[in-house]
Amino acid sequence: MEYRFLPKKGIAPFVTGLLKDFKVYGPVEKDGFPMYGEITSPKDIHLSHAPTHLSPKQFLFPPKETILRFKNGAKPALEPVIEAHNQALFGIHSCDIHAIKLLDRVFSYGPRDVNYLKRRDKTVIIGIDCVPDKYCFCKSVNTMTVDSGFDLFLHDVGSGFVVEVGTQTGKNLLYKNAKTKKATMKEIKKIKEIRDKKAEMFVTKLNAEASTLPLIYSGSYNSPVWEKIGKICYGCGSCNNVCPTCYCFDVRDEIKTNLTEGERFRVWDACTLEDFAKVAGGHNFRKTRAERLRHRFNRKFQYLADKFGGLFCVGCGRCIRTCLVNINIAEVTNELIEEANKDRS
Amino acid sequence: MSSLKRQIKTEVKKMRSIEMQKLRSYEDKKMRRNSTSQPLNLLTSEIPASQPRNLSTSIFDISSPYISRLAKIERVARLTEKERLFTIAFEDKKTLGHSPGQFIMLSIPGYGEAPISVSSTPNKRNTFELCVRAVGNLTNALHNLTKGDRLWIRGPYGKGFPVEELKGKDLLFIAGGIGLVPMRSLIKTVLSERPSYGKIKLLYGVKSPDEILFKDELSEWQQTASMNVSITIDKPYPEWKGNTGVVTTLLPPLKIDETKTVVIVVGPPVMYKYVIMSLGDKRIAGHDIYLSLERRMKCGLGKCGHCQINSIYVCQEGPVFRLSDIRYLREAI
Repeated sequence: MEYRFLPKKGIAPFVTGLLKDFKVYGPVEKDGFPMYGEITSPKDIHLSHAPTHLSPKQFLFPPKETILRFKNGAKPALEPVIEAHNQALFGIHSCDIHAIKLLDRVFSYGPRDVNYLKRRDKTVIIGIDCVPDKYCFCKSVNTMTVDSGFDLFLHDVGSGFVVEVGTQTGKNLLYKNAKTKKATMKEIKKIKEIRDKKAEMFVTKLNAEASTLPLIYSGSYNSPVWEKIGKICYGCGSCNNVCPTCYCFDVRDEIKTNLTEGERFRVWDACTLEDFAKVAGGHNFRKTRAERLRHRFNRKFQYLADKFGGLFCVGCGRCIRTCLVNINIAEVTNELIEEANKDRS
Repeated sequence: MSSLKRQIKTEVKKMRSIEMQKLRSYEDKKMRRNSTSQPLNLLTSEIPASQPRNLSTSIFDISSPYISRLAKIERVARLTEKERLFTIAFEDKKTLGHSPGQFIMLSIPGYGEAPISVSSTPNKRNTFELCVRAVGNLTNALHNLTKGDRLWIRGPYGKGFPVEELKGKDLLFIAGGIGLVPMRSLIKTVLSERPSYGKIKLLYGVKSPDEILFKDELSEWQQTASMNVSITIDKPYPEWKGNTGVVTTLLPPLKIDETKTVVIVVGPPVMYKYVIMSLGDKRIAGHDIYLSLERRMKCGLGKCGHCQINSIYVCQEGPVFRLSDIRYLREAI
């Protein structure tokens, strides 16, 4: 692992350099909120440490993405659309890097999703340290730190950034676009100091080891918790949209006004919406909001952990911040943990 | 001329083997990567940093999984008021290559895509049949198409019935409504090798007499193929002289040798629970019962999440399941 030291004023020329080769997306401020957006000059960057509303999954798995173009008529045609360009995701937090690694697994599992993977292949990820707010609970799901899945990672050590080099691509970019020097042991140690401090800052915590959560969830199927949150849930799907690891989608067609040409696209879908599991005959396999929430929560903590080997909740707290009725995934999980502990004693 | 042909053939063979090698080396790489990485545990640790960031070294020779093949409607037969049987052939004359129980994604550009189970036997090589009920946007549009119209097909997808495992067994088919559609593919396959199987019975439940599908074939199977067919109608109808009541009412009087019978059940979701209970009364093991689960597949590729039951994607691991594998899978039945 290589560590370089980049003074704070070196960030602007570095980003300017990136802009020559990449479309750069990073944290910006819009209407007073931190979010990810396109950066056209280093001035756009708003390196706040607060979590953004939407996750960077939007740049790898867009909310709406054309997958085919078609033409009807005498000579019907169907052609695949795979859009990918060189892009750099700048200022990504460790939870989101974990999320991207999980999405990598999902889209390369079984029949490989060329649209995602091609885009992913052209993406450079530059991570940055962050400070938890009162909803973050990444420490509880072991995503507070990350040691792979990025090309470069910036650790703010006060006097400047210690840049952790993750890949050769990252190294080349750093050497090309910034004047850095080898980080001293003192500076590298500072990373750990800051990390230790950060670990003490969490307000939201899960009261069980992350590795026990799949088991706790599997025993919670008949818990009264589901009815309780099902009663207040609006079934709006916001939690799915902001989640960095939700990847369900719908496939739809759109036809132009000439009625012969059009596009097939996929759009983000949400398992908490009413008709998500409804079949053509009208039968709905998850009729109630309680059932749908249980499905969503279990996907994060059990089902997908079974399939892909990692918790699909990365503790970013976005679903908590966005929920209109304050359903709190950490509180719900803690209630389930408490129930499980009660059962055991 | 023949030497040219031979040359082309060897060229094609060479190309294929190169493709296969590429694929194999990719799989190998994947295997190696999996074996060197730690046990499936992302909970505490990471994929090792040595893993290449490039996930898709050889993926770019694989085209979009959403691409479909152009096909043409050869024949349309009206089976009931709501169901039509479409005979379809690919424009490039290729075979679909399905096994009984699998499904395809059918699309009419502009109307969208839908999963449809294949109703014909794989023995029929040039064409295949889809029996479709008009219930939604796409299926209604499909019903407006006629002979010569074109549509797009991708697939086949999923896991079908274990045809080889059924050989030598007595078979009991239990179908409800349009459950007969995917089952017909298996029945016809089985009947094409009738001597390889023991006794064959079909129990078929429908709502009303005019909803009976494949009427001619049912009586043909009964008469010529030494297959016992019983049909029941949910509620009494004036002109109906046969059985009435749901399909489970046909089960108690049946004599079944539970040691050598395999049961295949396909029907609406509500039917499974009751049929499974009745089969339990007959001492049939869950190991010997197969069912096909209906879900709302949107991608067919194990990604979109619509067909998911717990950690299972029905479009990949199903739609045909052995009952003993899913009996305790919550939300499956």
